[in-house]
Amino acid sequence: MSVPELKERHAAATETVNNLRERLRQRRNELLDTDVAGYARSQGRSPVTFGPTDLVCCRILQGHTGKVYSLDWTPERNRIVSASQDGRLIVWNALTSQKTHAIKLPCAWVMTCAFSPTGQSVACGGLDSMCSIFNLNSLTDRDGNLPVSKTLSGHKGYVSCCQYVPNEDIHIITSSGDQTCVLWDITTGLRTSIFGGEFQSGHTADVLSVSINASDSRTFVSGSCDATARLWDTRAASRAVRTFHGHEGDVNTVKFFPDGNRFGTGSDDGTCRLFDIRTGHQLQVYHQQHGDNEVPHVTSIAFSISGRLLFAGYSNGNCYVWDTLLAKVVLNLGSPQNSHEGRISCLGLSADGSALCTGSWDTNLKIWAFGGNRRVI
Amino acid sequence: MPPEEAVTFPSLENEDEEEQPYSFAVEYTGPPVPYDLPRAVPINVEKIPVATVVSKVPLSNTELHIPVVPPILAPDRNKLSKELLLQPTVSPTSVIAFEERVSEDTNNCLLSGELSSYESGELAELINNNDNSSRRLGACSVSNEHSSMLDYCDSFGKSRESSSRARVSNDDDLNQPDWGSNESVLSLDYPSSRVSSRKTGDCNNESNADIKRPQVVTFRDIESDDGLDEEFGQDEVQPQVARVKREPQTKGKKGSCYRCFKGNRFTEKEVCIVCDAKYCSNCVLGAMGSMPEGRKCVTCIGFPIDEAKRGSLGKCSRMLKRLFIDLEVRQIMKAEKLCEANQLPPEYICVNGQPLCHEELAILQSCPIPPKKLKPGNYWYDKVSGLWGKEGQKPSMIISPHLNVGGSIRPDASSGNTQIFINGREITKVELRMLQLAGVQVAGNPHFWVNEDGSYQEEGQKNMKGYIWGKAGMKLVCAVLSLPVPSKSSNPGGELLNSMSGRSVPDYLEQRILQKILLVGSTGSGSSTIFKQAKILYKDVPFSEDERENIKLTIQSNVYGYLGILLEGRERFEEESLAEMRKRACSKDTDPEGSIDDGDGKTIYSIGLRLKEFSDWLLKTMVSGHLETIFLAATREYAPLIEELWKDAAIQATYNRRSELEMLPSVASYYLERAVEILKMDYEPSDLDILYAEGVTSSNGLACVDFSFPQSLCDENIGTADQHDSLLRYQLIRVQARGLGENCKWLEMFEDIGMVIFCVALSDYDQFSADGTNKMLLSRKFFESIVTHPTFDQMDFLLILNKFDQFEEKVEQVPLTRCEWFDDFHPLISRHRTNTNSNSINNNPTHGQLAFHYIAVKFKRLYSSLTGRKLYVSLLKGLEPKSVDAALKFAREILKWDEERANFSLSEHSFYSTEASSFSH
Repeated sequence: MSVPELKERHAAATETVNNLRERLRQRRNELLDTDVAGYARSQGRSPVTFGPTDLVCCRILQGHTGKVYSLDWTPERNRIVSASQDGRLIVWNALTSQKTHAIKLPCAWVMTCAFSPTGQSVACGGLDSMCSIFNLNSLTDRDGNLPVSKTLSGHKGYVSCCQYVPNEDIHIITSSGDQTCVLWDITTGLRTSIFGGEFQSGHTADVLSVSINASDSRTFVSGSCDATARLWDTRAASRAVRTFHGHEGDVNTVKFFPDGNRFGTGSDDGTCRLFDIRTGHQLQVYHQQHGDNEVPHVTSIAFSISGRLLFAGYSNGNCYVWDTLLAKVVLNLGSPQNSHEGRISCLGLSADGSALCTGSWDTNLKIWAFGGNRRVI
Repeated sequence: MPPEEAVTFPSLENEDEEEQPYSFAVEYTGPPVPYDLPRAVPINVEKIPVATVVSKVPLSNTELHIPVVPPILAPDRNKLSKELLLQPTVSPTSVIAFEERVSEDTNNCLLSGELSSYESGELAELINNNDNSSRRLGACSVSNEHSSMLDYCDSFGKSRESSSRARVSNDDDLNQPDWGSNESVLSLDYPSSRVSSRKTGDCNNESNADIKRPQVVTFRDIESDDGLDEEFGQDEVQPQVARVKREPQTKGKKGSCYRCFKGNRFTEKEVCIVCDAKYCSNCVLGAMGSMPEGRKCVTCIGFPIDEAKRGSLGKCSRMLKRLFIDLEVRQIMKAEKLCEANQLPPEYICVNGQPLCHEELAILQSCPIPPKKLKPGNYWYDKVSGLWGKEGQKPSMIISPHLNVGGSIRPDASSGNTQIFINGREITKVELRMLQLAGVQVAGNPHFWVNEDGSYQEEGQKNMKGYIWGKAGMKLVCAVLSLPVPSKSSNPGGELLNSMSGRSVPDYLEQRILQKILLVGSTGSGSSTIFKQAKILYKDVPFSEDERENIKLTIQSNVYGYLGILLEGRERFEEESLAEMRKRACSKDTDPEGSIDDGDGKTIYSIGLRLKEFSDWLLKTMVSGHLETIFLAATREYAPLIEELWKDAAIQATYNRRSELEMLPSVASYYLERAVEILKMDYEPSDLDILYAEGVTSSNGLACVDFSFPQSLCDENIGTADQHDSLLRYQLIRVQARGLGENCKWLEMFEDIGMVIFCVALSDYDQFSADGTNKMLLSRKFFESIVTHPTFDQMDFLLILNKFDQFEEKVEQVPLTRCEWFDDFHPLISRHRTNTNSNSINNNPTHGQLAFHYIAVKFKRLYSSLTGRKLYVSLLKGLEPKSVDAALKFAREILKWDEERANFSLSEHSFYSTEASSFSH
């Protein structure tokens, strides 16, 4: 078979796939007669209300000298690790806002960091295409730097996101600019499985984010520059369980819904979406109309402990609190006096759901807590 | 509300809806308000004072005594401050020699007056505002300082009495006519300042009873270090830099914690190193937060520290040790010592009347014999002998000579009056005494020229007269006279300079001076070669042991790869020739005498069984893609085989036909020629091997190298100005195009870089990528996306056109028009060249150079159409160190030019624009 002939057939096949995809989309739209907000309204639900003191900034974590790119909480609620462009990881005590560790990284261009489930070690990754693990209990060297305890190398592009598999300190899932996600065994430093890549049905562009299902740690979702999110099963790496279309821009962030049956996404098209992993349907779009044509990107999202609230950071410095049921913005953390001055690059909820931490390009992290007598939702 | 509506103009509202409805003030009829209403005070035009003419003062040329206000002793501080206060508020435009201090005091006092009514948050803001204004005042008054000083001299005496009068008037509740008396005192006054001064008066009156009021006047500690008399008597010129002192805000009683207002002066407290606020152990964490810059209140972060507390920097208190774990304490103390905000501000140090810049301070502090305990102030420095002293005083020590800091020394630097000069400075009496004791002839007011080792000669004469400190007992004499002697460790000047450049920069400076250069280029553009060249050129140890080991493995596996390609080629050639042979055999078959056994499968491409085995194994592993993992075993097992294989005639025959193997990169021949040597176990890659190697740096998405340009000979010729440059450090960051993704998501991480070097391989113009697009066009697309990326808005770009050596050869054979972007390249010179082909030394540019200029112009046009700016272009042969060195130096010049551009107005003028015009069509 000659090359032009092959090309022709390839083009034809691509067209067929696109046609089928389009038909699938239409079929879905036909079946999808309502969304979450419509249903909730018809049931007479009213949105959550927030008073001015219900969610207040109670701590400012100062110490980074560069843009903060990523943060993560420990499961035991009061410690935070943050990664910044000054080339440092800082481990904070969120209650006292003290630094317990400042780790100087060999490569300053760090994009992600994660706390291990036991809180004994932190992982980070970035443009060096490696995921570095630091054991917080190891001794510092002469210059007071914590040595790298393990490097996971094998990615061919930058490491954009990493997350420990819950309840075990030895497995971590990373996403990378080489269009793959990788499950690592930290003790051996080797790849257990690779999701996507050249020969497999994976993402067709840089993977930007992963989120592991908290109720079933064998499944995780990934969001990518190809405007899709994919659901994976760690036992079957060969192909994605499901692909979720819908976004019109890079999917910057994905996060599992607390019940494990849904997940949220945030994208460059300025919307957040909620998908159901069982039906593959898009349940809801969270989109705030903006007057000007400059659409702020969604940089990071997090769900409250019940899932009723969706916190979304935007590239213009806004941080909306969405009511997931009614798809209404109930609060903007970017508007108070003491809010961040730069883009909100990352946010995360503490394990007990009582506090939200936001990291920004203005080099600070802020901790917002549900104030007064308000019940944590 | 009905009454309001009554007074609006409905017609106006209709006409113009955007306009706010006008309303008139209605008389207030509500209940009486509990607070005082502000009231406009009518101005009596007659009473507005005007400037009085200053009477001429006879002014001696040399000795102009500038009065300096002495620090005021604690008990009557409040009272005196009032006196001081009145003078500047009278005339804010002619503030006097110590203006910054005085105006600051006013501000502080103003504040204290309003303290009762303001919330503390507003207060902080106000302090900032006032800081700014006082700084501005200080700055603006420098220019007319001279006249105002005179002014002040004249009225100094009078002002005291008048101010005391004013004080009396304060007590009389400050009625307006009293202010008229100020007319005689200094100069003008205008209503606004009167209001403010009135407020100060008010506050002072109240304050006698008010305990909560903070201290009104705080003098800077530098002045208070010096004795009272000294301050008064000496005509020391104050540093002309306005400095700002932050005041803590407290409402508590004296000695209590500034936050919880509990405790007394005996409870243990931590002090803010900026504003002197004191916090008890309960409040320290709250008030100082995580201490990113050491012990500072959260509000003080980023402000320069109180100079008096410099000594205690990095010295931990017991309280901190109790509060934090050991590691944290160490981190905080390290931050306190090393963070930039806490460093000695260089502009506070004047050397020979010139405030220092950062680099100069770095030089001063990092020299072999630095001045001890450098405090802000004015110093003189004799660059030839290294003598160092406070302005107007005898030398205090001898530091390293020949440092390029500050201005040139003034004759009156040490205020000597002996008429004897050393290195252009009139020496003091004490020094003269020392010279006499040292046996130096001082008759006839000689001018001496003293070197750093103490050798001296008279100005204008050649012969050395002797050593000042050479005589026995001179050390003792100097000790008695408290004069410095050169320390033994002082080196001759020549060595000093050299050691300077090798000296490491202080930790905190390193960060600031680092200039980042981003190196990007699509795959195959040779950006990694440039990166490796930079490493080899500028690093003492270009590659560490580990790196070399890795590189060795990479090279070896590469060579196995090349060999594999050769073997594959061999098989193909063998088949081809066999087929041909068979065909020939068939044709021979028709001939009856033709023998078949000639074609038993032997061609020149056939190899022996053992080699065949190896070849099959190698090809199999290559196909399975596990070459890297198995080849270690291969080196051990098959290394001896390689030699045999390489020498085999079949391989050599294949190698000779290597141009037919597309897979084989051009660089492969470099390695294959030496394959036997390389594939040995004890192979050590040379720098050149590393340079040629593929895939050495690309395993990571990003690589960076810190370097500084070594001082070459030509640099030294330029002069001492380049001395700073050796301190400048550059960081070359190389990112792989592949990792950049389609929309270059993470380029925003590089917004702090100084410039972008974009690398394009010239020889790509006839190359095509897998999907059939011209590689040059791909590079262009990539270039466009990088150049227009919002992060690189206003960034300088240097385009490096690489692989010129290959290009020059290639362009002779393959026309440049092979790439459709270059289809209008019609060099006029080609006709000429046929004549002068034999020697290309003459002025005619070669075809290659013409083509290069043409491509450069193409890119420049593209760039300016995208950004409207000029593109810098450089030619490069990646494998030649000199060429890379030149290109990187060019990049440095661009960076330097960028810094200086602010000073010149000819920003839009590029030297390189001429090239563009000469090739326009």
